[in-house]
Amino acid sequence: MTGFIIRRLLLGLVTLWITSLIIFAATQALPGDAARSILGRSATPESLAALRQQLGLDKSVFTQYWEWISGVLTGDMGASLVNSLPVTEVLSDRLVYSLFLMLLAAAISVPLGIYLGAASARRRDSAFDQTTSVATLGLAALPEFVVGITLVVVFATNVFTWLPGVAVTEPGVGPWHYPKQLILPVAVLVIAVVPYTARIMRASTVEILESDFVEMARLKGLPEQRVLWRHAVPNALAPTFQVTALNLAYLAGGIVVVEAVFNYPGVGLLLVDSVRSRDMPVVQAIALLIAALYVVLNLLADVATILVSPRLRTSLE
Amino acid sequence: MTTADEALSREIERGMTRQDILRRAAALGIVVAGGTFGPLTEAAFASTKIKRGGTFRQAVFGGAGDFIDGQHIVAKSDIVRNVVGFEGLAYFDEKGVIKLSLAEELKAEKANQYLIRVRDGIEFHNGKTLTIDDVIYSIKRTKNPKLKLFGNAAFGAIDLKRIKKLDKRTCRLFLSRNDVTLKEAFAQYYQGVVPVGYAPNSFIKGPLKHIGTGPFKVKSFTPGRESVHEKNENYWRSGQPYFDQVRIINFPSDAAKVNALLAGQIEAMSDVPFAQVPVVKGRSNLRILVSPTGAWTPLCMRVDVAPFNDVRVRRAFRLLINRPQVVQQGLSGAGRIGNDIYSPFDPAYAGDEFPQRAYDPEQARSLLKQAGQEGLTVELASTAWDTGMNEGATIFAQNAKAGGVNVNLRILDGTAFNDQYLKWPFSADYWGTRNYLLQAASGVLKTAPFNETHWDQYSGYNRFESLYRQALGTVEEKKRAQIIKEMQRMEYNDGGLIIWGFKNLTDGYSAKVSGYKVDRGTLNLNKYGNGFRTIYFV
Repeated sequence: MTGFIIRRLLLGLVTLWITSLIIFAATQALPGDAARSILGRSATPESLAALRQQLGLDKSVFTQYWEWISGVLTGDMGASLVNSLPVTEVLSDRLVYSLFLMLLAAAISVPLGIYLGAASARRRDSAFDQTTSVATLGLAALPEFVVGITLVVVFATNVFTWLPGVAVTEPGVGPWHYPKQLILPVAVLVIAVVPYTARIMRASTVEILESDFVEMARLKGLPEQRVLWRHAVPNALAPTFQVTALNLAYLAGGIVVVEAVFNYPGVGLLLVDSVRSRDMPVVQAIALLIAALYVVLNLLADVATILVSPRLRTSLE
Repeated sequence: MTTADEALSREIERGMTRQDILRRAAALGIVVAGGTFGPLTEAAFASTKIKRGGTFRQAVFGGAGDFIDGQHIVAKSDIVRNVVGFEGLAYFDEKGVIKLSLAEELKAEKANQYLIRVRDGIEFHNGKTLTIDDVIYSIKRTKNPKLKLFGNAAFGAIDLKRIKKLDKRTCRLFLSRNDVTLKEAFAQYYQGVVPVGYAPNSFIKGPLKHIGTGPFKVKSFTPGRESVHEKNENYWRSGQPYFDQVRIINFPSDAAKVNALLAGQIEAMSDVPFAQVPVVKGRSNLRILVSPTGAWTPLCMRVDVAPFNDVRVRRAFRLLINRPQVVQQGLSGAGRIGNDIYSPFDPAYAGDEFPQRAYDPEQARSLLKQAGQEGLTVELASTAWDTGMNEGATIFAQNAKAGGVNVNLRILDGTAFNDQYLKWPFSADYWGTRNYLLQAASGVLKTAPFNETHWDQYSGYNRFESLYRQALGTVEEKKRAQIIKEMQRMEYNDGGLIIWGFKNLTDGYSAKVSGYKVDRGTLNLNKYGNGFRTIYFV
């Protein structure tokens, strides 16, 4: 098991390195650079050249990449090109906001998804199952910005004015101080994730409920609730873990859209802003962070799957 | 505005009635003719209770590249953070008339000689008293070729070596050439006066950064998120400002700003998207401020590259846009049509004396045929730097089809557009309100920093520039207007700008706030309530 984790971690590092190459290449392909965005409309060839030199943008692409990656390896993420603050300082406050949003969304959507899936499987083809099925399919088809804007229109601006439509926060004050402002962004993320979890949970529970050992449990005369929650669900969790991990990783990307809709000051909003101003050190740092989250979550899901699947567990030992 | 007026308006704030005020005025020795007081006093009567204090929240569209500088701006967010903390020698009032601010005297002694005297006893945010040395330093910083500040070009005539300090508060400027526009240049909002030693090498950071004389001083600034400004207790205009604090908060889009306004999370926002104006109007707790300005978003044809180097193509293109349609559809009616001449508020404006150009695809077709450019395909670049750019470009692309011109519209993100800015053969741009000569110095002259059409490559350019020089040295206004009209005629006939109209600024604010006036100037929301000092909670 330890060997497996170490191997996967090493592979993860290779993945991150490749990601950094792709991101760097992609950012180079964008027209315009940070010097352009800083100087704006009044840029002149001379002032551009001077600023490029000052920011190190006049060096070759390879040198720029090498300087950046060697900085990262020694724990120095560099400084923002547009406001010269250290990247770690720019990110730290934002990271707290994004992680809090994600954790809150995960804490609600995972149990909710598992419950809805299992309950639908148990009452297969009932009205409840049908309703859940249609609702989850419908919601899964909607992009987050549509859900987000709809929720804003309904609950914040046009129909009711119960909740704030955007986040207005102060730097240095944690997101937990604004519970009302969190409701809509969290709701959008929950709506984005629950359908997938619920559907996969339903499918695997249905399959398990038809298997021999469940039949055996029923024949023993166990109550159906106990059959479901003690015998079927634990065995149906393995695939659900995989999907949940993927969904959480997806949340890390999904927050970009949600944060932009709600002006929620997390890394997603910062990413949009940094791409717009061609602030490459910040773009790179955020992209790496999101990629790292993907790697770690996938690894955790695999470990969890192994732990709940006796066959896989024993094969590794 | 007199001091007595300000004193009386303060009495009203304390709860005095008109009778009380009449008695008070008599006691102060103020003669009240026909019961009419000064404008401030009347305004105070009108809104009877001005509430002092409170935190005002202004939404802006900005990004991580935001900065605060008294003499430079790039984005609209930088403008708001400039006017809240900095002031120049003079400013334009709502009607576009130049009024003195930090200066007690600012006058052209000759067309090439100016006298400046600053008011006594004005303090910077750090407690230092304003002297003429600060003004001289500010002029030098603006003219620093390495910094390339926004107002650099307009100070071109000032001879730095011959600035003569007369006393602690007075100096005389000698110009290397005649320039009657210098007073106007000093009144631009980005010509803030900064203290000696203020950030000499950068507009992003440096010593004394954020120190101005304005009504609010910087308390905190987080680029890309917000800035907090607290009341300047030593502000020199008595009674102002009214708020304790101003928060300038960034939003990623206009939609997010509107949502914040509708939900009561901010007090004011600039540029309400046209589709949202009826929604805001429908709320009893919100107001819309419409300001008919001289702002314009032209389409610019480079006169030095094919096919636009042929004047017949330029003339044809000016006939290929349905101007009323752009104003109606692109601006939702919030504007008025133009006639390819800028500076509509200039006393010498002649755009309405020349025949109004109208949509005429047939004539355009025949002009293009003469030029051998039938079935022409062009690329038109635009970006959402300002409302009206993409709208004008999009409608032009549709309109031009009828004239047999195929337009490939390229709408780009700001930085990508900027990458080829001033190099695009055909592109959109944006401008605020400025009088003709200053606008020419910014946008069409050879030395202009934003010469989009490369007008200096036009065959008659030498004559245009000599007219410009002549106008700059002509103190007599009527004579100057004649020269300016001649310049406008050249641009009307042969120029590369398609000026389809002028825009209104449409801003939204909370009914809890009062004091905004309709303003002809470039800046939104009555110059953001004149740096947030003339607006207040009621």
